[in-house]
Amino acid sequence: MRPILLSGHERALTQVKYNPDGDIIFSVSKDHVVCAWYSHNGERLGTYHGHQGALWTVDVDPTSTLLATGGADNTMRLWEVKTGKLLKTWDFPTSIKRVEFSADGTLLLGVTEKRSGHLGTIVVYEINPDPEAKQSDEHVLRIVCEDSKPTVAGFSYCAYYIIAGHEDGSVSQYDAKSGELLFNREVHEADMQITDLQWAPDRTYFITASKDKTAKIVTTDALEVMKEFVTDTPLNSAAITPVKDFVILGGGQDAMSVTTTGARQGKFEARFWHKIFQEEVGRVRGHFGPLNYVAVHPQGTGYCSGGEDGYVRVHHFDKPYFDFLYEVEREHAQANL
Amino acid sequence: MSRPAGRTDWAEEEDEEIQALPQNSVVKNKDGTETFITYSTREDGKKIKTTRRIKKTVIKQIVNPRVAERKHWEKFGSEKGRPLGPQTDTVSVAENIVFRPSANWKANADDKNEEEKKKADLKQSKVKCRICNGDHYTMKCPFKDTMGVADDATPAEMPDDAPQPGGTGMGSGSYVPPHLRGRPGGGGGEKMGGKYERDDLATLRVTNVSEIAEEQDLRDMFSRFGHVTRVFLAKDRETGRAKGFAFVSYADRSDAAKACEKMDGYGFGHLILRVEFAKKPDGK
Repeated sequence: MRPILLSGHERALTQVKYNPDGDIIFSVSKDHVVCAWYSHNGERLGTYHGHQGALWTVDVDPTSTLLATGGADNTMRLWEVKTGKLLKTWDFPTSIKRVEFSADGTLLLGVTEKRSGHLGTIVVYEINPDPEAKQSDEHVLRIVCEDSKPTVAGFSYCAYYIIAGHEDGSVSQYDAKSGELLFNREVHEADMQITDLQWAPDRTYFITASKDKTAKIVTTDALEVMKEFVTDTPLNSAAITPVKDFVILGGGQDAMSVTTTGARQGKFEARFWHKIFQEEVGRVRGHFGPLNYVAVHPQGTGYCSGGEDGYVRVHHFDKPYFDFLYEVEREHAQANL
Repeated sequence: MSRPAGRTDWAEEEDEEIQALPQNSVVKNKDGTETFITYSTREDGKKIKTTRRIKKTVIKQIVNPRVAERKHWEKFGSEKGRPLGPQTDTVSVAENIVFRPSANWKANADDKNEEEKKKADLKQSKVKCRICNGDHYTMKCPFKDTMGVADDATPAEMPDDAPQPGGTGMGSGSYVPPHLRGRPGGGGGEKMGGKYERDDLATLRVTNVSEIAEEQDLRDMFSRFGHVTRVFLAKDRETGRAKGFAFVSYADRSDAAKACEKMDGYGFGHLILRVEFAKKPDGK
């Protein structure tokens, strides 16, 4: 496996995303620029200029025509993927920590930061999938989180619910129509921030990563913890792989304490765990800073990771990855033949 | 990138600007490979020339028409107007990573390696108990109080019928001052383990030894009278020559006595040896 190193960013990566076909990777970093890359060879398709501050988040709609970004310049922006043209800017009183499209691409949510007099909120906009069309200025829904600020959020299957992860380690479920809080559950250790929430392909369950060094698979309906992956380092990201039953966890100690330890102790590796048996099956080394985000190719053929070191590493899995089976899995496969 | 293969002489270029790095170049080889030559300046100011030969193979892949269409999109933003294909300034290929998932993958296998190596090394350096030959230190032997030191070479400690004079019996564990040791029934303190102390009673002091003598010579001479367990020849640290005295230990005290008698006054080299017991038997 020969990773492709994408070195188009000058500062730490904050999020990387594949489009649904898996041919383009979008990356955002603290250097204000959004980059689009072809995933198969790492060629850069283009850059999206306009943001005035560090970028925290990016998401692409299901048809790969629209791109949403959010950052520390208190704006959420919509771009045309193909040309890099800025289509719409929404202004907020605080920065945008997370954006995500619904599965059909008609809704876009943004998570706003809590800061001096402003509570953390989740805002939802209706999106017109036509890049030529004018996008609405008014949000269709605004959820104000009074208890603990939301750090990550996403739409469930069919956009029935909005699931949000909070700073206090809890996960809550909101009605995506009314914005009503259905329920909230302590999933991670108290006061350990949830750093990432990524969906399974069918969005009936998701994986959360937290600073409490664990990642957990939680069901969308009942917010029930199904699986738990306990590591030895604070996690920044967790992803579920299609094809193989793995999860990929990324993390590492905080950026501020990196300089005091060697690369080995930093634990800057992507960790592969078996999703069902909850056992670690391997690690991939490479970054020399913590991994801020890991994204999996939607077809399960590879993954990419964005690190604090400013690099995106794109990996295409090779044969041993696909061949790997647990003994019981192998027996099962044999029996079914 | 798009420079033709046959470029002008570099020598000229360097004359013009010695400081500047030569331009990166790509040469198409006859066998279909391409040679990329890139220059960079290392932190210590040295110029680095990197030559990479890359073979490009065309892999045909059937993809979704949407994906195929996107492959032909015009580049935009910072990439606007750049030619097709990955650009060397933003894309590079990292070294190969072997990634094999395995069911019983051990966390931090590499990290622990070093520590484990150290531990293994410790285990390798055989710790052997002198009492029971177990793999622990003599000090920690569970039979420390009940058994004597087993030394195959020196059965000097084998308990005789009567406690040896000056011997350090294994009776009660209480301390017995040196001058009281060896008295019948006096028992003995626990023996402080130096092996040199152990066989003092069967050790001879040999003086007036020739400078050119070697330990082996002494060993040969003295082993005529019995089993010699140790020969120590004092040597000058700098010159490596004998200082003129030596100690010879026997396994058995009677052998030592015999040797003392016979070897005292023996001519060795150009000198006459003087042999006596290193320690008076009665501890005086």
